[in-house]
Amino acid sequence: MRHTLTLYRRLLGVQIRSQLQYRVAFFMDLLATGLTVCLEFASLALVLQRFQHIRGWTMGEVAFLYGMVEIAFGIMDLVFSGFDPGRFGQEVRRGTFDQILLRPVNITVQVLTLDFALRRLAKITVGIGIFIVGLQGTMITWTPAKLLYLPFVLGSMVCFFGGLFVVGATITFWTVESIEVMNILTYGGSFTISYPMSIYPDWLRRFFTYIVPAIFLNYYPALYILDKPDPFNFPPIAPFLAPLVGLITLALSLAFWRFGITHYQSTGT
Amino acid sequence: MIQVHNLHKHFKVTRHHQGRLAGVRNLLTREYRLVKAVDNVSFTIQTGELVGYLGPNGAGKSTTIKMLTGLLVPTGGDLVVNGRIPHQSRQQYVANIGVVFGQRTTLWWDLPVIESLELLQHVYRVPADRFRQNLSEFTDLLDLKPFLHTPVRSLSLGQRMRADLCAALLHDPALLFLDEPTIGLDVVAKERIRQFIQHVNRERGTTIILTTHDLQDVEKLCERVMIIDHGRLLFDGQLNDLRERFDGRRELLVDMAEAYEDVSVEGAQVVARDGWQVTYQFSRSSVTASELISRISQRYRIRDLAVREPDIEATIRRIYEERLLET
Repeated sequence: MRHTLTLYRRLLGVQIRSQLQYRVAFFMDLLATGLTVCLEFASLALVLQRFQHIRGWTMGEVAFLYGMVEIAFGIMDLVFSGFDPGRFGQEVRRGTFDQILLRPVNITVQVLTLDFALRRLAKITVGIGIFIVGLQGTMITWTPAKLLYLPFVLGSMVCFFGGLFVVGATITFWTVESIEVMNILTYGGSFTISYPMSIYPDWLRRFFTYIVPAIFLNYYPALYILDKPDPFNFPPIAPFLAPLVGLITLALSLAFWRFGITHYQSTGT
Repeated sequence: MIQVHNLHKHFKVTRHHQGRLAGVRNLLTREYRLVKAVDNVSFTIQTGELVGYLGPNGAGKSTTIKMLTGLLVPTGGDLVVNGRIPHQSRQQYVANIGVVFGQRTTLWWDLPVIESLELLQHVYRVPADRFRQNLSEFTDLLDLKPFLHTPVRSLSLGQRMRADLCAALLHDPALLFLDEPTIGLDVVAKERIRQFIQHVNRERGTTIILTTHDLQDVEKLCERVMIIDHGRLLFDGQLNDLRERFDGRRELLVDMAEAYEDVSVEGAQVVARDGWQVTYQFSRSSVTASELISRISQRYRIRDLAVREPDIEATIRRIYEERLLET
């Protein structure tokens, strides 16, 4: 286990050093990613300024929701970049996944270190900026419990979206190309939970409650932290389900991943 | 070292529709065809052997290697390598083998060679002094020094191959798989790599399985060859036996002392005539060289002659083309 952790660090080090060799490309990437997030949020802010609030959520409160997702998704994208389905599919197609199987190191650790998209740091930074703007626009009464819970909320989202990346990557063992359905879940899902769930039609909200329970990842924790009433009358435990949702998603996805590897070995695609 | 018994690997291959709306039909319905990539193959390899594994493209060579290295799970049959079943205890198994694919590199693309090698030291948990010893030995043998600090992406193919060979051996594997290690290299580079392979086999006692399309590799390195085609093992034995069995076509070059209209002789075929020089082809099984020479010299006046042994390349080409080994 310790050996595996040390190797994880070493292999990550390699990724980071490799990326820094292409300095210009790296900074351009960083800039582009940061600008994209800024523009996305700026357009939202413009709309919100016009209407002051959406369904009882002020601009600051939405910024809180939005910032949380940006930060979590950025961290996930950084840590799980090796599992990015589009990227991992190439690994399968080119047969370089074979090299991973030939090394006496845990496969998951090796895939995690296939890439470490440092440019996501821009996304995280902008996310933190939006989050801070949000905090200033809201009157949160902080309690120790709330402060303590905040990192767990972020971690849960990282696990959840990481799990979706792992599932998407595993599917490429069968399809080789990454499939669009998974993008709807990962990118569509993160987009959806960046806004108050009460703005969506019932069917969409139910989908993200009962089928993909993403509503518990961001919306309910935010209700708790911002002291807002629950319009859907869930039991009071609802805001604290986030870690459960995150961990179960990640555990299931890793089980599917292990199954996918045995499939890969028996078909040789 | 390696025991393979009745090994099978079958693939389901999608049969693609053709003609009108083929793309749509491919999406909607799938028909499968069963391909027997490896079909009932058995062999045993002892520790310290250097075996050439030959066969035309698509014969089942790579599939066999992939099963031996644990990358693929066999459809049927038994496979024990180094006391383990490769695909079952992956991590422990691959820790004790080395694999070099001529077409791909195991090294980190953007890293200087030396850093890749140092990383592999940690991956395989090679003790520091053993690592230094091996590294200095391989650096000498493969002449790695000039490019140890060059990123892998800037290496020539021959340099990359040498670095890859070094990388595959740093952890003292008992068994080494070489998949076309000389592909695309020039004559000098090929020769250097052959010498290195031979050294590793002889001095370190490493068991080596070598697949190649370059039959000079085989001729210079392997005593034993296995030939596979259409998934079936057609030949497994000494290179010399293969020669004796199939080098039927030896050639006799004769310089006649005068011009003859008819130069035919019993037991041999005339395959070329160039002025007074005649080339006969004959098979070892029907007539010996001395017998043939005496027959010719009884009929014609000869000025000079030479017997040409067919090279292994021609022999193996004939085996593939004429399917001489098929039962």
